[in-house]
Amino acid sequence: MKLVLYSGGDARANREIDNELFRMVGVSNPLMAYIPASSYLSEFEFQHFVDQYKRFRVKRFLHFPVDVPFDKILFKEVLKADIIHLGGGNTFHFLLWLRKTKMLEALKDYVFRGGILTGLSAGAIMMTPDISTAGMPSFDRDENHDNIKNLDAMALLEFDFFPHYRNSPRYDAEFRRFTRKTKRSLYVSPDGAGIIIDGEKRTFVGPTWLFHEGKKIAIN
Amino acid sequence: MVSSVKKSVGDAVDSKKVYSAFAKINGDHPFKTQVSEGRVEYRARTKKGGRVVFFHFDLAKEMGLLPKDHPNTLNPELEAQILETFSIQIINEWDIENNIKFPENEIRPNTYMATRYLQLQHPDKSGRTSGDGRTVWNGTIRNQGVTWDLSSCGTGGTKLSPAVNIQKKYFQSGDPSVSYGCGCSETGEGLETLFFSEVFDKNRIKTERLLMTIEYDKGLAINVRAYPNLMRPSHFFGHLKQGNYKTLRHVADYHIERQALNGAWLDVRNKGPSEKYQYMLSQVARTFAETAARLEDEYIFCWLDWDGDNILMDGGIIDYGSIRQFGLFHSEYRYDDVQRFSTTILEQKQKAKYIVQCFAQITDFLIKKKKRPLADFKNHSSLKMFEDVFEEAKYKNLLYKTGLREKFSGELLKTHLNEVRVFRRAFTWFERAKAQRGTYKVADGITRDAIFCMRDILRELPQLYLTRGELLKPDEFIEIIRSSYAKKPDLRLTAMMLKQIQRFQVSYLNLVDLAARAQKKERHQILLDITMRSSVINKYDRVTGDSITYVVQKVARCRPRLKPEELFQLMGEFAHYQTLDPDTRTQVVDEAAGVGYPARQKNILRGMAGIVRECREGL
Repeated sequence: MKLVLYSGGDARANREIDNELFRMVGVSNPLMAYIPASSYLSEFEFQHFVDQYKRFRVKRFLHFPVDVPFDKILFKEVLKADIIHLGGGNTFHFLLWLRKTKMLEALKDYVFRGGILTGLSAGAIMMTPDISTAGMPSFDRDENHDNIKNLDAMALLEFDFFPHYRNSPRYDAEFRRFTRKTKRSLYVSPDGAGIIIDGEKRTFVGPTWLFHEGKKIAIN
Repeated sequence: MVSSVKKSVGDAVDSKKVYSAFAKINGDHPFKTQVSEGRVEYRARTKKGGRVVFFHFDLAKEMGLLPKDHPNTLNPELEAQILETFSIQIINEWDIENNIKFPENEIRPNTYMATRYLQLQHPDKSGRTSGDGRTVWNGTIRNQGVTWDLSSCGTGGTKLSPAVNIQKKYFQSGDPSVSYGCGCSETGEGLETLFFSEVFDKNRIKTERLLMTIEYDKGLAINVRAYPNLMRPSHFFGHLKQGNYKTLRHVADYHIERQALNGAWLDVRNKGPSEKYQYMLSQVARTFAETAARLEDEYIFCWLDWDGDNILMDGGIIDYGSIRQFGLFHSEYRYDDVQRFSTTILEQKQKAKYIVQCFAQITDFLIKKKKRPLADFKNHSSLKMFEDVFEEAKYKNLLYKTGLREKFSGELLKTHLNEVRVFRRAFTWFERAKAQRGTYKVADGITRDAIFCMRDILRELPQLYLTRGELLKPDEFIEIIRSSYAKKPDLRLTAMMLKQIQRFQVSYLNLVDLAARAQKKERHQILLDITMRSSVINKYDRVTGDSITYVVQKVARCRPRLKPEELFQLMGEFAHYQTLDPDTRTQVVDEAAGVGYPARQKNILRGMAGIVRECREGL
């Protein structure tokens, strides 16, 4: 299983994670598919995405919003990509449409077939057991406009992930409470940091902390 | 300046200084003196009970009405200033006939003009009685080298309205027994103009802009429009019809002077009279050819009838009453205007050409002082010019839509016109294909459905070529290009269909290769560039006429809870979302990071995007 979790930030901030990502890619001339969290202005996000990965000599890209109707031709091509990237945005909206379009299952299958799945912020949360962390902290959370009740995500990982972390007591108090309740590990990273999963190997890039049963441990 | 506004709450002296530009808008307009037979003047009085429901802060700053650093909020001083300047109602012929008295202190010192122009729905049909029926011009304002015209719709019924001339009597402003003739406008009309025109403006389609809406009881409103030059062809045509040389010349001279003053026509002032009018003709021919091509290629339905009152002299759109943008090329749609059907989108070109022919006649009249029949100009050189410019514009528009960069498309047209022509033929074949269902009635007219969505194929094709490096199979091509209007019989893979699919793909890739050669790049580099550009130009959800109607209905429902500045912000967000310009890079916003999203309007905006998506293939 090959996964890359980006917390957030721009191309420059994520350079190190990108380098790690391309160490995992075993093909020349890889195809990258970009799935935005929402189609709203995603064309421009796609431009930024292409700019970011053109530097790694990627020549082939696909743009595939899931909250607008799509044809099966492009859908099939996306699942043949070497890397599929899930964009950042409103996690609830993203989950709703990934589920509606049956992409959640398709993406899991893609990962088990050896595809590399990467995600930034909401996209990274999508790989965890559920998207509860999108509703945290209470003072700065995604809004659940679509009123989604089932928060189950892909569950490719057994831990939770929180992006855009700021090392402050306000955040920590919520995370301590959260992990006491879930009994699961929660990794938190600030923008520019992230986690790379390559089979059994887990690499942390940039500062990351682990919250577990109310305790906070610096990982990197 | 911001601090002075903030400090000035309640301070009349400071706010007077900050809003001093408003004082220039008082009914004075150069057209009044330069074209004295081209207008009717009205005295005006203060109209009470109004409140500002929309104000375009950015436009006001661009026009110099507000200081650049004025906050985008409507403070009480600004609202008072707006109402003082724009909340007026004319004292019309009915008021005078009925000896209605108004308090002296409510009567404005200056008069306001309604301009005369040709409108064919008037019985006279020569422009003697027609023109601004419910609009007066507020004046002009000059800022950064541009003089702007301002006019207000809904300021009372004038004697130039069709109702007055059909029923041969004057009407009281607001008389509910007549609709258009009552001289009123509505908030909904303003909102429709606002949302449509802002999207067009962001996409570099010339259009009138809405500066503000002042609302009164029962949804009635004054909608104030602004544009650098509000002259329409119909301002010329009435005087041409009447053979009124003197006034026609005054209109032409006035228009030329304004274009020169605004820097739109750079080299016209030093020309002699004949050359000047010839120059005007060539500008009209070029402008109307480019406009007709652009309207056709953007699927914009604008009823370009030959009285020329739905379009401005520079091809800008005015009066959104019958404007539509189609999602597909529904080229057989006709608007039902009770007495007659409108032109179709494809017939617009001929109407535009006819306007140019009229200007050839006008030019000849102005130079020789003798009016010759219009038919004498059916082979005029300006019409040849029109055709040439139209064709060139059609090719350029197509290459732009395809995603090729403009700087290379000019070169491509010069050196490989034949290859572009082959692609255009294939493109047009699909674009114009219609459903076997045939013509049928819709709410406001008749139509026959287009069945293919060219935007979808142009968006997906470069990605798929980039990924696969080979042509699509015919059934795959159809799967992508088919619209929701297409039924099984429309999509049969006939020999002709197969031929066209092959021709489309081969000629498309041929253009990509030609562009690659011209730019000394590889095919995949051009395809990637086209992929990115085309994803913006041909984005999945683009506004249509229907979607604007529903969007406005949604806004109208939410509007009682929206402050004018919130409506302004909402309008800006919507126009930004509908900006299909690949060269305008927008900031990427990660909502989870909590930046850039205006909280209160988020829900409304999401609803609006849903409407646009739902209606994206319609009328």
